[in-house]
Formats: sequence, C-alpha cells, structure tokens
Amino acid sequence: MFNRRHLLKSTACGFGSLALAAMSQLQASGPPLAGRPGHYPARAKRVIFLFMAGGVSQVDSFDYKPRLAKENGNKRSFDDARTVAKTGKGAEQRVMQSLWEFRQRGQSGLWASDLFPHLAERMDELCVVKGMHTEGVAHGPATLFLHTGTTNFIRPSMGSWISYGLGTGNDNLPSFVSISPSLGNGGPRNYGTAFLPPVFQGTPLGRTGLAASEATIKNLSNPLLSNESRNRQFALLQGLHQDQLQRVASSGHQEAVEAVIQSYELAWRLQNNAPDVLDLAGESAATQQLYGIGDKPTDNFGRQCLMARRLAESGVRYIQVNYTDNSNNPAWDQHGNMPKHKDHAMAVDKPVAGLLQDLKQRGLLEDTLVWFGSEFGRTPYAQDNGTGRDHNPLGFTQWLAGAGVKPGFSYGETDEFGHLAIAGKIHMHDMHATILHLLGLDHERLTFRHAGRDFRLTDVHGNVVKEILA
Amino acid sequence: MVMMRLSFLMACFLAAGGPAGASPALEFFEDKVRPLLIGHCYECHSAEHKIKGGLRLDHQAGWETGGDSGPALKPGDPAGSLLLRAVSYEDRDLKMPPRKKLSAAQTTILQEWIASGAFDPRSEVPGDAANGPTNGKTLPAGALWSFQPLAAPPQPSVKQVTWPRDPIDHHILAVLEEAELAPIQDAPPEVLVRRLFFDLTGLPPGAGDLTALGPESYDTLVDRLIGSEAFAERWGQHWLDITRFAESSGGGRTLPFKDAWRFRDYVIKSIHHGVPVDQMIREHLAGDLLDAPSGADRARQLSATAFLALGPTNYEEQDKGVLRMDIIDEQLETIGRSFMGMTIGCARCHDHKFDPVTTRDYYALAGIFRSTRTLRDYTSNVAHWIDRPLPSDPALEKALHQKEQQLASLQTELKQTTALIKKRSAQTGPGPAGQPVQAKDLPGIVVDDSAATLVGPWKPSTYFPGHVGKGYVHDEGAAKGTCTATFLPQIPETGRYEVRLSYAPSPNRAKKVPVHLLHADGEEDLTFDQSITPPLEGRFVSLGTFRFEKDGAGFILISNEGTAGIVTVDAVQLLPENAALAAAPPHPENPSAEAPLQDRQKQLQAEIKKLQTTPPFQPETMGVEEDAAPADCAVHIRGNIRNLGPAVPRGFISSLAIPGIPAIPPDQSGRLQLAQWITHPQNPLTARVMVNRVWMHLFGEGLVRSVDNFGVTGEPPTHPLLLDLLAHDFIKDGWSLKKLVRRIVRTRTWQLASLPAPEASWSTRLATDPDNRLLWRANRRRLDAHALRDAILTVSGRMDTTFLGPNVKAGSIDANSTEAQTLEYSYVFADLRRSLYAPAFRNRRLEIFEHFDFADINGPIGQRTRGTIVPQALYFLNHPFIIEQSRAAATRLARLHPESAEPHRRIDWLWRSLLGRPPTPAEHRQALEFLSAPLPPSPSPSASEEDRWSQLIQTLFATADFRFLD
Repeated sequence: MFNRRHLLKSTACGFGSLALAAMSQLQASGPPLAGRPGHYPARAKRVIFLFMAGGVSQVDSFDYKPRLAKENGNKRSFDDARTVAKTGKGAEQRVMQSLWEFRQRGQSGLWASDLFPHLAERMDELCVVKGMHTEGVAHGPATLFLHTGTTNFIRPSMGSWISYGLGTGNDNLPSFVSISPSLGNGGPRNYGTAFLPPVFQGTPLGRTGLAASEATIKNLSNPLLSNESRNRQFALLQGLHQDQLQRVASSGHQEAVEAVIQSYELAWRLQNNAPDVLDLAGESAATQQLYGIGDKPTDNFGRQCLMARRLAESGVRYIQVNYTDNSNNPAWDQHGNMPKHKDHAMAVDKPVAGLLQDLKQRGLLEDTLVWFGSEFGRTPYAQDNGTGRDHNPLGFTQWLAGAGVKPGFSYGETDEFGHLAIAGKIHMHDMHATILHLLGLDHERLTFRHAGRDFRLTDVHGNVVKEILA
Repeated sequence: MVMMRLSFLMACFLAAGGPAGASPALEFFEDKVRPLLIGHCYECHSAEHKIKGGLRLDHQAGWETGGDSGPALKPGDPAGSLLLRAVSYEDRDLKMPPRKKLSAAQTTILQEWIASGAFDPRSEVPGDAANGPTNGKTLPAGALWSFQPLAAPPQPSVKQVTWPRDPIDHHILAVLEEAELAPIQDAPPEVLVRRLFFDLTGLPPGAGDLTALGPESYDTLVDRLIGSEAFAERWGQHWLDITRFAESSGGGRTLPFKDAWRFRDYVIKSIHHGVPVDQMIREHLAGDLLDAPSGADRARQLSATAFLALGPTNYEEQDKGVLRMDIIDEQLETIGRSFMGMTIGCARCHDHKFDPVTTRDYYALAGIFRSTRTLRDYTSNVAHWIDRPLPSDPALEKALHQKEQQLASLQTELKQTTALIKKRSAQTGPGPAGQPVQAKDLPGIVVDDSAATLVGPWKPSTYFPGHVGKGYVHDEGAAKGTCTATFLPQIPETGRYEVRLSYAPSPNRAKKVPVHLLHADGEEDLTFDQSITPPLEGRFVSLGTFRFEKDGAGFILISNEGTAGIVTVDAVQLLPENAALAAAPPHPENPSAEAPLQDRQKQLQAEIKKLQTTPPFQPETMGVEEDAAPADCAVHIRGNIRNLGPAVPRGFISSLAIPGIPAIPPDQSGRLQLAQWITHPQNPLTARVMVNRVWMHLFGEGLVRSVDNFGVTGEPPTHPLLLDLLAHDFIKDGWSLKKLVRRIVRTRTWQLASLPAPEASWSTRLATDPDNRLLWRANRRRLDAHALRDAILTVSGRMDTTFLGPNVKAGSIDANSTEAQTLEYSYVFADLRRSLYAPAFRNRRLEIFEHFDFADINGPIGQRTRGTIVPQALYFLNHPFIIEQSRAAATRLARLHPESAEPHRRIDWLWRSLLGRPPTPAEHRQALEFLSAPLPPSPSPSASEEDRWSQLIQTLFATADFRFLD
C-alpha cells in the first residue's frame, strides 16, 4: 500500500506516474474501461467514422449510372421511399442525371465523379460499397438508425458498444470521442450509452456550429487559477481523500472511495494531456496544408480530421468526425439545390483525402478503419420535378478504407438508375456487424442484459459482409 | 462448404435410389431445386443454421407449415405462393434472399417446381435449431414468485427480543439470526440526522440541525420533514424518474412539451396532499375517464394523463403506422416496468421467453391503447401530441374571455389597417399595377424568374406588362409535367416570411398551379389560380407565412404538373413578418403618405404580440383521448405492422386474471378497466413493486434488487415475507406513501450505522454477506445528481425555493415550430431553483445531470446509475457552477462568522454544513495548512483570503464524503 500524499509531495510534477500506478492497480481488478481482447483477433484497432449528415448523393459521387444521362428528363415510375411510407405506393418521377462527370480512376479503375476531386485520386485505397440500404426515411430516424441500430427505441450508440466490448486503448483519453456533434436528429443519443454503464458514454469534443479550433472536452481547465494554486488545491483534495479513505478502512466501502480518488487522478492527467493532443499548432505547415487548414472552405473540417488523426495516434478507439449542423435539413440535404453539394464536397474533400494520405504515410492505415457515409443516400430523380433530390434509404453508397478491407474494391450494386440496392446488398445492420467483426467483436455475442433480455447493436439482424474483407 | 455439403447429399441420394430409377420430378428437384435452396435459403431457414421468421426450408413439412406468415408454398400455384412472391422482389416488405435477388433463371426454377406440384423428397426433419420460435413455451404463472397472491405473513420469532422496534425489524433480525449474524450498532446522531434530511427532503441539514435527538424529538423531526414541501419535491422526483418525465420529446426532431410542468406539479401536489398511490396510478392511466367532483379535480386528473404522452416519441417517423405501434409499445413498456415490474415489450414480437406474458396478452393490451388517441392525427408529416384545455376557475375564465375580446378587436383593426395600406400601395405602390417594376424597387427579398433555376421548355415573354424585371416565362400550355422553376431566396436573417408569387394572369391560364415549398419547419404542397388578377397590388398572390433559416435549404418550386391551361412564372417575393424589415422602399412620388397608417400597423402588431404573450393563458395539458371507434388489435407477426394475424379481444395479462374486474365494453378503450386491474388489491405485483421502490430509496437497494424487473430474469426478494408484509400493510393503510416512509425511518433497521464502531471488526460479517443483502448494517449510499446540486445551493445560500410552477416560459412556445427546438438547443440553464424544476429536455440536459448518474431520461429510471467517471471529477474541478457556488458559500461564511482570525469556527461550520460532521483533527490541520500557506503572487490583491476559503469549499464539494451518505 503506497501513501498517496507522500508520493505527491515527493514528486514535483508527479501525478502522472502516480496515476499510472493507480491505473495498473485498477486494471488488475478489472475496471470497465480497461483494454481487453475481443472475441477473435482484430483486424482494426480503431475506427474513424466521417459522418456526412443529410445524405450524400450516390449517383453524383461514386455510383456511376450512364442510364441517368440517357434518360435525363424522362418520367418514370419509382418506388419513392417517402411516398411509400406515407401511401404504400410509388410515384411518377423525373430522371435527373449526375451534375458531375464520372471517370474511372487509378489502377483499380473505380468510378468516381468530379464532385470529390481529391478523393478521386485515392480510389485505389477505398473499398466502396454501393448496395447500402437502411431504415428511416426522415433524418431523425435514419440518423439514429445509423448510430444506434434503431429508428425509435432507446439503444446504446455504436461507439459505446465498442467501448463496452473492447475497453479503452489508452490511459489518458476517453475511448470514444465525437468531434463537433449536432444537437439535432437525435443529438446526444447518437453518442449515448442508453442502458450500458455510463462509463461507455461518448465524449463530445466541441459541438457543431462552434469552430473546430474551439472544440475541446468540457471542463478541462479552470482559467481563474494559476498553475500553482491549481496544484495546491489538488494536493489538498488528495490529502483530504487520504483521511476519508482511512475513515472507511475495512468497512467494505473503501472501493467506492478509491474509485472517486482514481477518477480525480485520471481527470488530472486528462487535463494535462488532452490539450496537447488537441493542439494542432505543433503540426508542420505541410501537414496542415495537407488537410486544407488555413484555407477558408476546408479549414474547419480539416482541423476536425487532423484532430481525429491525433486522437487515433493517442489510442482512442472510436472517433467520429461530424460534418453537420443543428438544422432539420442538415448539410448535404439538397432537396432543392443539387449544385450546393459542391460547397459541401469542397469543405470535406481535401481534408478527408489528406487524412487518408496522412494515416497511410504514418502506417496508421494498417490498423485504423476509416468509414465514410451518410444516414441515407438521395434519389436518382428530381424531387417534385425540381432541381434537388429527396432522401433515399433504399440504395446508397458508403466507403471504407484501411484496416481489414479490400482496397481499390467496389462491392454491391443498385439498379440501372442507382435507386434500389439489388446485389451485394448491405443493410446498415450488416455494416455494423462488419465493423464490429473487423474490431474482433462478434455482433451476436456482444450483448448486454437489460430489462430482462439480452440486447445487441444489431438486434436480431446483421451479417458480416465477408466479401469486402481483405 | 456448400459444395462439400452438396456432394455429401448427392451421395446419400445415390445410395438411396440411384439415378437410373429417378423420376423426372425427383431429378429436377435434386438437380435444380435442392442446390438452390441450400445455396440461397438455408443460411436463414434451416435447422443447421438459423430459423428466421419461423420458416424452415430444409424439409417438406417446413414449407408446408410455413413460418409466422403461414405456408410458404402452394403446390401447383406459383402466383399464390409466398416463396415466389418473396424471391420476385415485388413485395416491398418481403424480399428474399435479402442480400441479393435471385437471377431470372433461378426464379424460373422455383416457379416450375411449384407449378409442377413442388415434389419434395425431404420427408425427414433435420435436428432442431436452438433459436426456434418459442410459441407455447412461455412459463406458467404459478412458477413465478411475484405472481403468487399477496398475504400478510406471520411475525417471525427472534432471540434478541429487545432489539426490534417494528415488525419490520423482526423480519430483518430473524433472517440475520438464521444466518448467525447480528446487526451492528445504531448510527450516531449526526449521521442519522443527515440521512434523514437527505432521504426525506433531498436537502442537507443545517450545521445547527446536527444534534442528538430523543425518541420524541426524532418523531417530531420526522413529521416536520414529511410534512414539508421539500418532501413532496424529493419524492416527486422519484416518481418523475419512474414515469420517464421530460419536457421535450428528444428523438429525431425534438419538440418541447410546453405543458409537461403541469404533470410535474400534479405529482408534487399529489404527494404533498397525500393522494393514495393507487389513485395516482388510476389517474395516470384514465384520469380523463374518472368522475371529478369539481373543476379543480377534473383539471388535476386530466393533467395526470400526460403520463401517457410524455414518451420519447419520434414525431418525424414517416411511416405513421409504425409510429402508432411504437407509441403503444412505449406506453406498455413504461406502464409494465413502472407499476408492475414487468417487461411487457418483449412480447411484441414473440411470446415472452421467460415471463408469463404471451404475444396475445401484448396485443390484448395494445388494443386498449390503439383505442386511445395519443396523437392529433396519424397523417401529419411531423405528428403532434394532444393538448387538452383544462377547466379553470370562473375568475380566470372571465379574464380569458376579456383577453379574447380585446385580441379580436385589435386583430380586426389590424386587418383593416393592413388592407388599407395594401389598397393604397396598390394604387400608389412601386409602379402602378400593369406596369413593369424592377426587383430592387420592391420590399423584402425578391427573386425574379431570370434568377430561378428553370427546368423544361419554358418560353420567355413580355406580353403581359405588369411583370417584375425584364419579363416572365410560360409553358405555352404544353409539356405538362416537365417544367419546373425553382427559386432559392438568400435569407439574410432567420425568421418568418410571407411568401408571395407574381404571375401574368389571363382567363386562359391554369387554375391549379402546384407550388412546393420547403421551409424551416417542413414542406407544403399548395396550388394557386393564375386565371384571376393577382389579389395583392394587382401583382402578387400570398401563399402564407413560413419560417426560413439564414443560409438554409428553403426553396419555392413552381411546376406545371397536372395543370390545364398556360402556366406563367414571374417572380417570388419574401416579406419579413417583422414590419421594420418589410418597409417598402420610399416611393419617389409619395414619400410618406402612408407613414401614420404604417405606424399604427406596427403599434397594433406590437400590442397583439404583447397581449398574446402575457397571462392569463388558457391552461392546457398534454393528454390522451378515447378513440371514436375503439377496436381490438390484430397480432402483428414478429412485430411487423404489415404482417397481421388474428385480432385479440382487448384485455390484460391473462395469467393474472383478477375476479371482479369488469369486462371492457365495446365502446370504451379499456383504459379505465386496465387502471382498475393494475391497482386492484388482488393484483400481486403493483403494491409489491411500489413498496420495494420506497424501500430502495431509503436503503439504497430494494428487497428485490432488480427494482424494475419482478420477472424470471429479475432477482428474487431477499426477504419475501417482509416484502409481503409491507405490501399488505401498504394496501391496508390506503396506499399512503407518507405512512410507509414514516414507518420505515422509525425502524431500528433503518437507523443502523454504516461504518464500524472504533475497534470493531467486521471480518465475519463481510465474509458471510459482503453485499449486505441481509441488512446487518446500513448501506453507504451515493447522493444522486439532484441531491448533489441542491446541497451545493443550500450551502451557498443561493437556492431559489419557489415551490411548483413552470420553469421554461410557457405560453410563448408554439410546440410545433422549430423555434421551439432552438429553445432547447440554445437554452441557458441559469436558474437556481431546486434541480427537479430544471428544464428536463431530452437532447440537452443541465450539465451536472450528464455526468452524475441521472441515467437516460428516455425511459423509466427505477434506480439511478452509479458509475464513477472522469467527467464528474472534471466537473467538480473546473465547472463554473461549482466555482461560483463555492465563492457564494465563502461570502456567506464570512458573513456568518466574521472573525477571520479564528478560522476554527469557520472550518467546523464548513465540515458540518457540507459533510454533516465535525472535521477530524487531521482534516482540521490540513485545512489550516492550506489557508495559512504563503499566498502566491496574484495579479489582483483582492484575490486573497476569500479566494482561499472558496477554494477550500470547492475542494470539500469535490471530496468523496460530500457525495456519500453514511
């Protein structure tokens, strides 16, 4: 048994080493966040999920459909998801061709449009899945489905499930971080634990609408105190805790007090370490440029992506980077003005391509899975015969890159118009199952008993998509 | 794998018959059908892998019986066979195989097979899969302890006869003696007082309350605390927890519940006035159907039914059939868990795997809520709950009537004034009607057709002179359904705008021109008539006023779809509702002729707005209504709304039949009967669940530790006889919460210490019963987030003690507008009322609730979660609320004990106020050291002594002992 106060006084800035000792003790007795192996060997150690809120149009980006150009302007009957949900019937719609030119790229010859020019140069690294389909026709339900596997019920988010399954990959930082999340479309539920223990809650970094340069963890510092006062106050807290621990010695209540003491030690290390991890100033000018930092259209998302790489390096298990806003028609939701997709593509294209390149050159892409996608796609026809596209949960594209997935690979397809997934179909449940699989988790065995039954992220569904695994 | 399996099967086949003698039907099956089934269907429909939807395709009887949806094949009738429908991908809800459609050739094989009679040699049934359907395997009710009838148990005998004070103590002691354990010493007085204050009121005792109490003064204190408003607030919070109270919907598009506070007030008042718990439950479920002696009774009973409407509903769900069943599911799950400790929701898709609840029971209950209206309608794009007007007293009625009249007269005048202004501006407006006008000369945001996105063969024209800009476009009355014009106005400022359209009128124009409008709160599909002269200024027609967001996605789309006659498109004008922004540019010829009229218009608008946003308001509550046509609900196979089985008569859990409960009349929903069934003295669950909840709040753990789950997967009671005694006496005492609490806190058991006496050893006890299941001592408990924050505000002296009433400004909130979401997203939690009044938004919590065990307010919370997490530590170290309240407490301390030269009294006061005990000598010494250490150089000289006290106080708030209750 070591004496905390003694240690505190004997080391000048020594809370770190003290906490390390405490940490190893904690891990020995198995705290919920201690790192642990999954059900089988993992291909990926961590995930960076780039969430494109609102719905990127697949037929304008990665799912090339020549027939759209041939039939541009023609009226045809489509099973429009919204109309079907409301009326049970399809409707006449006007076919609308892609606004951007498609070409085959790289060695793999994967198709990509000019919407994402930088990403188009990295197609050989992407595993593009074109047969995605999901639940929920409106943003709220579909966004919740993407994050929690249900449109309406209260369930843990994917990052929380993964933290629950694998614990944290580091001693200084949370295991699950969401950068600049939105309050809308489910808000905190998208990084919440629901009935899982609160320790698996996602930690928000900033929030959407706040500049990424301001994004940080809540309550990380007390600006009113000098460093010296801060240290003195913390030493007093440690000292008082030592006495409080004595009061409950051999009463069976010590563990609860120990847990509180340890939470302060970890907090102390977090407030000493996190600012460094989140501070991008130490990155070279070349790296910053790679992410588009400093250029107005890309600065904000570039910072988010670079922060994600730094968190990945520091061992954070699940990092979500949000491109969104707080409105009911978030970001990519171009119902009336398809050309506006270009503004959003401008904002994310270079940062995401930069992230891929940076991860690769640092060897991080080997064990990091990058996942890019929206809650649903968009229709290949004009909404109300206008100049925008409506939501389409029935067939859309996402892509993966990095650990464990085939690079330069395209899987699955939609019909000739890019509307309905018809082959290599991947339901969102399947995507969840596959990502868990890559992390070494069996989605059918990752369960938690609550209210009398075992719950899982994929409910009673989901199949691992083996075809895309490297 | 598949290939190997296949050749093995072929080998069996060869051995059995040999190809020479095989019939063509058999050959066809083995060559074509079997490989196809194995390759594409077995993965989910065979005993070897999985049996989804109850369907097996690995033997003949499998498809003959079929799955949940019935037989899969009709031999000889491909068109009538479910299997063929599934593989054809024609049915939206039944597409198999789910990942990839079969090729046309493969589909043809199946079609031929079925057409030719579906010969199938597979008569043997392969081994059972583990996850088959559970139908018929549900547990019988008799096997579950909690379903046993309730009876008063005999009082057990004990050896240590002087120890018990109440029969409760007899039960505890008897079990302890059987385990050869003895209860420890009684708690010291100051521990008992702190425990009593927090448990009964959720607030800490003052430094001066910590005195020893004799039996009489103890009882007096108990009665005083139970009678206090703080008691009703504390126990009201417990009730709000299990009823998943919240003030917004959360979910996709969160909507604030403007009247939810009335439910909170109803709960607090009911507890304060001692309304029996069974009556409260009946009011929650059927308050609108109960007799009410007075208007006030009617108002409180209606407010109680908000319980059914307060769930985390996703009003935006587009499939309203799904939404309707999801709401019912949430209601059943909440009722089941909160009042009966049953997980009813499991039975939505299959018979309950563990508990005596069948799918039939589920849909019998669902029929009750399907016959109850929870939404205004089941068609709106974003659905809405029901606001029910509350009866109010005559004085308020009169005031409301007066206000209405006043409003009506102001509105009439405004209408007249506006009409007059419009009439004059039509005469003298920017360019007379019938003459071209430039967009820049018009007020508001004007988008000309030349700036619109035009799709289809529009033709430009200037034939009709009264246009905006250089001209307009028209469709020549042809190419119907191919022309659209999309206007994307640049919105400078978020707000409400009147949308107006300009067109070139003529009798040969289309009469029903469709307009699609996307605004910040949703979408509109409207039509307007171009064959008449534009009603406004001879130039515009108004489509109404909508909210648009700055730089938002809003647009106006005009189409010629389904029109007869020529469609013209000229311009769109958006006039800000705010009159100041809308002011027309001064007309050169007549600069200020309308100024006085416009002034009056503005004045009237302001007066109306003021009147609308100041009390009195018509009080409303969220609630439910009986459906006009109550009906039984069909079983939804696997919970799917498009796969219906037979209807089930409305009713309750069949294994818990209680004699004397009236049948549900055909013209009623059955809520009233359900309420009677749940609160019937012979219902074995409700009273047990309720007393167990009270026990849990007073001891930290329930006698049944799984407080929300009295089913097979829950824990059995540690003291079944005691639980029954409590439940029995609870019913006998008229379901009185106050009597029950009073009785328990007077027991010897409740008054045990939680820490060992000096020199005492607990090793035997800890070894025998480390979890204290037998209650040989008191548990050391955590204060929940509410108690923590309220204790901090008590110490700082800053608490606003307003009892009852709303906290978010009601009346000014239109719950169906997204301004209401902005209200939640940008809400500043600044008030210092008790924590239960803090706006309980689902997407945005008061921060301390995010970190401390508040759990998820989307569902009933039987017991707060108890994690110790890092954000809690960061909150105490750095959050402005803690820092501010520490400073306030330091100021208060300096006022109470001005003699700073003698810090001893201050330190003593602090420890008593924060931790409910005097400091130990070691603590005292540390505090003194901290206070007397040399001050670091500080930029501000006044940042001195009080700062140190405030840092000491903050540190005490941060310590473990502040958040634990001995």
